[in-house]
Amino acid sequence: MTSSSGPSRKALSKIAANRLQKELAEWQVNPPAGFKHKPTDNLQRWVIEVLGAPGTLYANETYQLQVDFPEHYPMEAPQVIFLHPAPLHPHIYSNGHICLDILYDSWSPAMTVSSVCISILSMLSSSTVKQRPADNDRYVKNCRNGRSPKETRWWFHDDKV
Amino acid sequence: MPCSHAENMKVKILQWHAVASWTWDAQDETCGICRMAFDGCCPDCKFPGDDCPLIWGACNHAFHLHCILKWVNSQTPAPHCPMCRREWQFKG
Repeated sequence: MTSSSGPSRKALSKIAANRLQKELAEWQVNPPAGFKHKPTDNLQRWVIEVLGAPGTLYANETYQLQVDFPEHYPMEAPQVIFLHPAPLHPHIYSNGHICLDILYDSWSPAMTVSSVCISILSMLSSSTVKQRPADNDRYVKNCRNGRSPKETRWWFHDDKV
Repeated sequence: MPCSHAENMKVKILQWHAVASWTWDAQDETCGICRMAFDGCCPDCKFPGDDCPLIWGACNHAFHLHCILKWVNSQTPAPHCPMCRREWQFKG
């Protein structure tokens, strides 16, 4: 289920492809600390390895993020999910969906894959407890048809973690 | 006298070749939306300059006009600046 490809599988627009080429080139010179882009020939789907930051609950653990870009990136946010197994975190569902406002309502076209990665690592690092969101089972059941997290109506009520 | 001779000297310009350079006066080098250089153009355009102008917001952030219009037109109800999140208004 976590490999579902998101709402639109339309090819990248010229603007989107152009920007992603630039981001990839920039990433190769200057990758965000703790992240590794797994090279593929698919510009529209990036798989990125995340290393838990030292001194946090996730130190020495590695996870994989899957980033799918819509046709009109960066006017629309990418779809970002954790591949199985997703880290145990109060804002990360067991199907890999991440409750983080910048991936949905608060997206801005000035953000980049790199800045999104840093936000996700920061969210992991500030966690004080390894547990699933309270509504995990209900939410995951609702997504069983392979729904994208971008179609979820998220409530962002906790900015502490 | 050599002096008066110089005063009477006339110079005829047969041809000249002028070169000018221009640059946008923005604080950043690249557009925060498309990441292309301001002195270049947005990915939809072929030529920089008047065909692909920069535009400033009330918050003083600059973008290619074509880039910010795409963003502003996709946002409801109120678009915000991609850089600082303040409500987007074109600088008057």
